[in-house]
Amino acid sequence: MTEGLGYLAGALVEFAAPEPLFNVLWATLLGIAVGMLPGLTATLGVALMTTLTFRMGAQDAILILICMYVGAIYGGGRSAILLNIPGTPASAAATLDGFPLARAGRAGRAMGIATSGSVLGTLIGMVFLALLAPVLADFALAFGAFEFFWLALFGVVIAGRLTALGDPLKGWLAGFLGLLLAMVGQEGIHAYGRFSFGHADLAGGFGLLPALVGTFGFAEILSVMKNPAYDLVRGKVDSVIPRLREVLRYRWTIVRSGVIGTFMGLIPGVGEDMGAWVSYAAARRASKERERFGTGSIEGLMSAETGNSAAVPGAIIPVLTLAVPGSAPSAVLLAAMFIHGVRPGPLIMIEFPGFVYEVVAMILLASLAILLWGLLLTRPMLAVLRVPREKLMPVIFVLCTIGSFAIASRIFDVWVMLGFGLLGFVLREMKYPMAPLVLGIVLGDILDKSLRRGLVLSDGDPTPFLIRPISAVLAAVTVMTIVLGIPAVRRGAGRLLGRLAGGGSAN
Amino acid sequence: MIKADFVTGLIFVALGLGALAESLRMPRFETLSVNPYTVPGIVPGMLGAVIAVLGLLLALRSARAGGWRLGGEVARLVALRRSGAARRFLLAFVLTVGYAAGLIGTVPFWLATGVFVFVFIAAFEWPAAEDRGRRRRVLALAAVEAALVTIAVTLVFQEVFLVRLP
Repeated sequence: MTEGLGYLAGALVEFAAPEPLFNVLWATLLGIAVGMLPGLTATLGVALMTTLTFRMGAQDAILILICMYVGAIYGGGRSAILLNIPGTPASAAATLDGFPLARAGRAGRAMGIATSGSVLGTLIGMVFLALLAPVLADFALAFGAFEFFWLALFGVVIAGRLTALGDPLKGWLAGFLGLLLAMVGQEGIHAYGRFSFGHADLAGGFGLLPALVGTFGFAEILSVMKNPAYDLVRGKVDSVIPRLREVLRYRWTIVRSGVIGTFMGLIPGVGEDMGAWVSYAAARRASKERERFGTGSIEGLMSAETGNSAAVPGAIIPVLTLAVPGSAPSAVLLAAMFIHGVRPGPLIMIEFPGFVYEVVAMILLASLAILLWGLLLTRPMLAVLRVPREKLMPVIFVLCTIGSFAIASRIFDVWVMLGFGLLGFVLREMKYPMAPLVLGIVLGDILDKSLRRGLVLSDGDPTPFLIRPISAVLAAVTVMTIVLGIPAVRRGAGRLLGRLAGGGSAN
Repeated sequence: MIKADFVTGLIFVALGLGALAESLRMPRFETLSVNPYTVPGIVPGMLGAVIAVLGLLLALRSARAGGWRLGGEVARLVALRRSGAARRFLLAFVLTVGYAAGLIGTVPFWLATGVFVFVFIAAFEWPAAEDRGRRRRVLALAAVEAALVTIAVTLVFQEVFLVRLP
């Protein structure tokens, strides 16, 4: 613990120089702009930034990426409030109360609430990151091939279940499709080029970054251009300064949403959007002013904005300790860490003991930066939303093309971006969630190697997958997630519970 | 959506079975006395099977809701083509793919980018401009933006971020 504080202090001292602080300020501001613009998500922002910063030193690059990530999730709330369009999927819950507030002429106040919620949410998540990551990394040292197999499978199953609102089947299809796509190219044991059909480019596999730039960039450009143009809420914006009284009044909502958000971030692939939705639902259930939710409730907006921001540090916890991303943007962050020679995973506290606390310091700086920009630049930043999409989208597409090409200088990667973009567009139009697809692409390799290594270790005997304690728990949770995702089972369980409860009250 | 689900369900079945078949054809390296549990086809085969099953469930579910009645769908798709949304989508798709897959790699990057940005803006803003003066303005602004974007992108990426451009 004291050792951790020492590392944290060391990291903060190191970052307290003009260059890192300058990087924090511009990267967060750019993140807010990216988050605000419908069609530009945190995932795309972090992915494009990864390709742009890969010539930089590891620490600078990761600092910039984290500021981009925190800024984008915060910025998404702006367009949720002013346009009724979530700037990133994470702000979908914020539209429910943010937009009614803006329409009632209180847009400034709503943005003030979003600022305080986001800053406090990020800080709560950051505290959990500092406390939980070392413990989880220590625990994960007991993970072997058997456990990692289940972890990968569980990640795809739970992400598919939770992110496909009401239709787990589509979530699972997206997740397993992601896993299958990850199989393309040379596998890690015999270097056999799967599904390559003799093409050297295919044997290299699909790069994660071009695939993500496609699914989150190109696909979004197509759907933004397809949809009708949006209108900004006109009129004067009132004071954007967060009010301390509101923060104190809703302190329990903030703490609850912060904890829920962090936890949702921790679950593989589930991430910020669910952090916001679950916090919002919990706040409504616990609220004294429940009937105002959805019509401009300050508490509702506060819970949604706290929940999604807390999920950012939450999603970074499994990235650092298990090398399993908690959300789509953190999947990019994970890839970026590998590019820069940091190896996240159970050994992180042994190999790079100071790194976890460096990340904590980065998140702290990013949260201070969103507070600063939230207070100073809210009004001028609104100009970003006035840029017509016809002028913005071609520029974004140019960036997507450069971004996919830059990492490996392969034209093939541009094709991958186009292919995944079209796939992502079609799947999204048919209401398939993107998060499990991304998680599948990331986890495919772990699943593949872990299953085969496990079978070699046990000489073909599947029982260790089921009886080793951690494996057994993960297996049970995975099976339960699947079974409870089947609508008929869920209805049956609901009836059974109802009958039990009814019987209990009769006695 | 039900009909689309039915069709995609069948596509997923085909994809899953295809992956399974391809996995069975993958080498097993028997002559190299490789451990049989490490052969490359195991995991992709399983994934293919799972996708085929999930796709079948999707197809069955939507068929039960009437998704198999596909008659008249082609006519509806043709009618859909005339809608504003479909037109805008097709225009955006053709322009972006034309740029990334056609121009990039064949002409210099700056030229490709300048032309793409100009044509994209002009193509989308042209229909909204009513008279000749406005149209001229649209073209002029598009040209200015295209020039600015090309210069800024080339400079920032090559000089500041040291990234190689296509």
